[in-house]
Amino acid sequence: MKVSMKWLKQYADIPMDADSYESRMIMTGTGVEGIDDLGAELENVVVGKVLTCRDHENSDHLHVCTVDVGEAEPLQIVCGAPNVKEGLLVPVAKIGAKLPGGITIKKGKLRGVESQGMLCSGPELGVPVELYPSVGDAGLLIFHEEYPLGADVKPIFGLDDKVIDFEILANRPDCLCVWGVARETAVAMGTELKLPEISVKEVGGDISDYAKVEVSEAELAPRYAAKVIKNVRVAPSPAWLRQYLHAAGMRSINNVVDITNFIMLETGHPMHAFDLAKVRGRHIIVRKAEKGETLTTLDGKNYELAGGELMICDEVGPTGLAGIMGGEESEITESTQEVLFECAAFDRTSIRVTARALGIRTEASGHFERGVSPATVMDALMRACQMVNELDAGDVVSGVYDYYPHPIIPATLTVSCQRMARRAGVEIAPEEMENILKKLQFTVSRNGDEMVVTAPAFRQDVDQEADICEEVLRYAGYDLIPITRLRGENTMGGQNEKGRRQAALRAQLTGMGFYESMTFSFISAKSIAQLGLPEDDKRNQPLMVLNPLGEDTACMRTTLLCGLLKTLSTNIKNGNENGRLYEMGTIFDAHNRTKEGLPTETPALAIGMYGDADFYAIRGVVEALCQKAGMAYEIAACEEAYLHPGRRAAILVEGEVLAVLGEIHPDAAQRFDITGRAYVAQVNLPVFFAHSVPLGTVKSIARFPAVNRDLALVMKESQQVGPLMNAIKAGCGAMLEDIRMFDVFRGAQIGEGNKSVAFSLTYRAADHTLTDEEITRLTDKALKIAKEQFDAVLRA
Amino acid sequence: MDIRENLQKISEELKQELLAIATVQELEALKVKVLGKKGSLTALLRGMGQLSPEERPKAGQLINETREQLTALLDEKQQALALKEKEERLLKEAIDVTEPRDLPQIGAVHPMQLVLNEVLDCFTSMGFSVAEGPEVELDHYNFELLNLPKNHPARDAQDTFYIDDNIVLRTHTSPVQARTMLSQKPPIRIVCPGRVFRADEMDATHSPVFHQIEGLVIDKDVTMGDLKGTLDAFAKRLYGNDIEVRFRPSFFPFTEPSAEVDLTCFNCHGKGCRVCKGTGWIEVLGCGMVNPKVLEMCGIDSKVYSGFAFGIGLERITMLRYGIKDLRLLFEGDLRFLKQFR
Repeated sequence: MKVSMKWLKQYADIPMDADSYESRMIMTGTGVEGIDDLGAELENVVVGKVLTCRDHENSDHLHVCTVDVGEAEPLQIVCGAPNVKEGLLVPVAKIGAKLPGGITIKKGKLRGVESQGMLCSGPELGVPVELYPSVGDAGLLIFHEEYPLGADVKPIFGLDDKVIDFEILANRPDCLCVWGVARETAVAMGTELKLPEISVKEVGGDISDYAKVEVSEAELAPRYAAKVIKNVRVAPSPAWLRQYLHAAGMRSINNVVDITNFIMLETGHPMHAFDLAKVRGRHIIVRKAEKGETLTTLDGKNYELAGGELMICDEVGPTGLAGIMGGEESEITESTQEVLFECAAFDRTSIRVTARALGIRTEASGHFERGVSPATVMDALMRACQMVNELDAGDVVSGVYDYYPHPIIPATLTVSCQRMARRAGVEIAPEEMENILKKLQFTVSRNGDEMVVTAPAFRQDVDQEADICEEVLRYAGYDLIPITRLRGENTMGGQNEKGRRQAALRAQLTGMGFYESMTFSFISAKSIAQLGLPEDDKRNQPLMVLNPLGEDTACMRTTLLCGLLKTLSTNIKNGNENGRLYEMGTIFDAHNRTKEGLPTETPALAIGMYGDADFYAIRGVVEALCQKAGMAYEIAACEEAYLHPGRRAAILVEGEVLAVLGEIHPDAAQRFDITGRAYVAQVNLPVFFAHSVPLGTVKSIARFPAVNRDLALVMKESQQVGPLMNAIKAGCGAMLEDIRMFDVFRGAQIGEGNKSVAFSLTYRAADHTLTDEEITRLTDKALKIAKEQFDAVLRA
Repeated sequence: MDIRENLQKISEELKQELLAIATVQELEALKVKVLGKKGSLTALLRGMGQLSPEERPKAGQLINETREQLTALLDEKQQALALKEKEERLLKEAIDVTEPRDLPQIGAVHPMQLVLNEVLDCFTSMGFSVAEGPEVELDHYNFELLNLPKNHPARDAQDTFYIDDNIVLRTHTSPVQARTMLSQKPPIRIVCPGRVFRADEMDATHSPVFHQIEGLVIDKDVTMGDLKGTLDAFAKRLYGNDIEVRFRPSFFPFTEPSAEVDLTCFNCHGKGCRVCKGTGWIEVLGCGMVNPKVLEMCGIDSKVYSGFAFGIGLERITMLRYGIKDLRLLFEGDLRFLKQFR
């Protein structure tokens, strides 16, 4: 919220520089985004009178002038403006003057004639047209009023002002106006609050002779007040008013409309002015819209109403959107004779819903959405009438319309000073608390520790002791809050089970050279489709967001793959070699709901590799994690469609799928814009954690020697090695300590379609040294299993 | 020839020959020549049979003494040669220790995880336990129990992603606090890290998905000083002992009084710089005393218990910590970025 400092200072003195003021306000709870010095770029430009003006001897367009700037000697200035002539009052940039854009005026010669400054145009001064009418004129800016020669031009344009950009907290709509920040300023500065006394000169008659007002929606319009102005004299607003509005970022329209905007900025009460002659039947009816009613607003846009919106109507139909924007029909024009001023309090939710539904946001609707107090409506309305007197914009008719069926009763609270001090952790004397609250216009009666406190009418945010505590603390000073340590009963802190397990996985993956990535929990329907899953796969039916920002935030991820593949693709495209990445995060299942009706959330892990990688590398990563978790797992077939049909596998543990992994199918790779081969694994973390075996008693180290035997077995190319090894392991029992594959050979010697696989078998007994017979028996057993179950024979 | 002279001669010859020997093999040959089965000394020993029985013991003793002496000499030479050969081998095996090779790769956790780990370490060491909750949450927990009634502006559709009328993507991790208060009795000390969602378009400082770490303490007689003390400890642990905390009045529906917390600018240590826009302070988090209305709604007697809550934006503190200027880097997963973390 932008406020002219001049305006603010009318109501509260600021006896310090802008920076100190800013920090003091911030520390008492009124945010300041910045303070803009309007005249910062303009310096040493004064009012001057052109005494003489003659043509420049060496130019067909330059003039040589003498200009009186109130000094002993007039200045000689060369000027190129066609409209310069004797007797004009003009802005003069003297030697050393600063103009917007960082321009500094220096002494110089123009075609041989010395010039001791510059006569300025409006654009050269950077003054907005709003602030001075002739700024927009062509050529030299000419003052039409008398000003002392040599006077600084800044006050003429209102540039001797600063604009403060306040950032008001959501619970303080009462501060969204000059009076509001003046109240806070006065307390913060310790200066007197000088709000104007409101008195209105009325011309007699009665409002009921001019207009009829009818309100029936006490919920949506808890207060609706009106005054009538006759003999309206629509005219431009005076400079000071235009400047105040400009500082706040508003355009000046005419005196009548400007008064309503001035009141909104000053008091926080949006107002509306109706041209009474255009209100059909001179009858204002505040009611809900009926479906299909239409309205053309001030900005010329047409709206068809859905029904239920709060409207300001006349006897024929809508003439304004309550609290949002007036209608074009009853707009103030130069020919307006009689005006009805409306000042009201509307329900914030109703205004917000209507404004959103119609896609309109105005200053007024913003105020109402954040909350306008019904209690102070009449002050604002009468202040508007006072402004009509001051600007001589018309005659105020006696009598007022005021619909206020349920007057707000300010909250009265009984609070304990000691309790508040304890909450704050700061020793604040009850007397000081009382003082602060009184300065903030609370009514206080204190009896020792107990205070009975009533909030001022403009405060709607105070309804409990904690609120009073905050009021006291922000003026006693947040800096007083000491640094103390938590006391009380000790609690056992720590990471939770899931966090500890995930941390262990992260550490292991880090050790294997993997980098963690994070992607959004959103995916698009398109990216799921890119996986090419079968139609009935439930990952194709994600949890949908009702109001996404776009297709990329439309679905909650059913798999981490979409994000991971995009990350792999980005890295490949960026030329990063040998990618090893993983993501750990939540996936969502819209179909399985919890008792509370929420979708199931499952932690998942996705691992991806490319470059220096192959199927066995990605499988190895998952196997290593499983082994480190003490799991017995098996490798089985899997049907994941996005994986290469010949290079994909599932890792099963006790029949449950713990992971699926493999090489990305070339079609899926292409759809995700992945060039080359990439490998992924998806790990179901709940299954992983459920089957992790906590480390118990460890085995002692075998003291008897091990014996190794190497076997090369010739088998069909299609024979999987895994099952064969598993069968030998199972068949040979505990004395076969380990079986390891170390080579695969293919060649003519062993026949087309065959492969020779070399294994190393390690035998050991826990309680004795193996005998030759035992070793032979174990080896024969292995060979027998290979031959009988897998048609694999010892290589000749 | 007298046996003594013979021994003398063998000894002298061996000593002479030893001088010229350069390899273990040569030494071995010499050893055989003198001490071997057909060696000169062995021959002498064999020749003792021709001596008289009286002479034999004496001669035997002499020969053995010489044998021992010569063996000692040969051994000494053997050791010297072995040492020399080892030294030569080591010299020959010298490599260029500066030649580069491919390194074993060690990865890294995500920068936000790094910072989160530090934050959690800090709070868990102060007795906070880690609590988590669903990312897709009931409106009831996300808003209503936190004093964000239906008409609160923060609930506008433009801020909150909805799944349906009652289910939202949580806009903060505060619903975990509400769930904890409903299910646990004080004293409560928890930190709730997690993913949250707001309908903000992605840019250098905004993202529709981001992370929060919220903390909650409920106990008897908890003061705002305790809150400041806790956050002061956090700030010093994370950013150094010269970091101060500053509380500024603020507003959050679920706390009263509320404060915005500034930390001494880590870049300029409070002198004022571009990072802190010349103020010497950086806004880092929001906090306050838990609103008694929230306590009551969550079934905790606000006359007996009080508490504080705070909320930290993980992206923000990560970006401040590592001087990251664009939030998007955190979600792109580019290895050139990720590899800088350790």
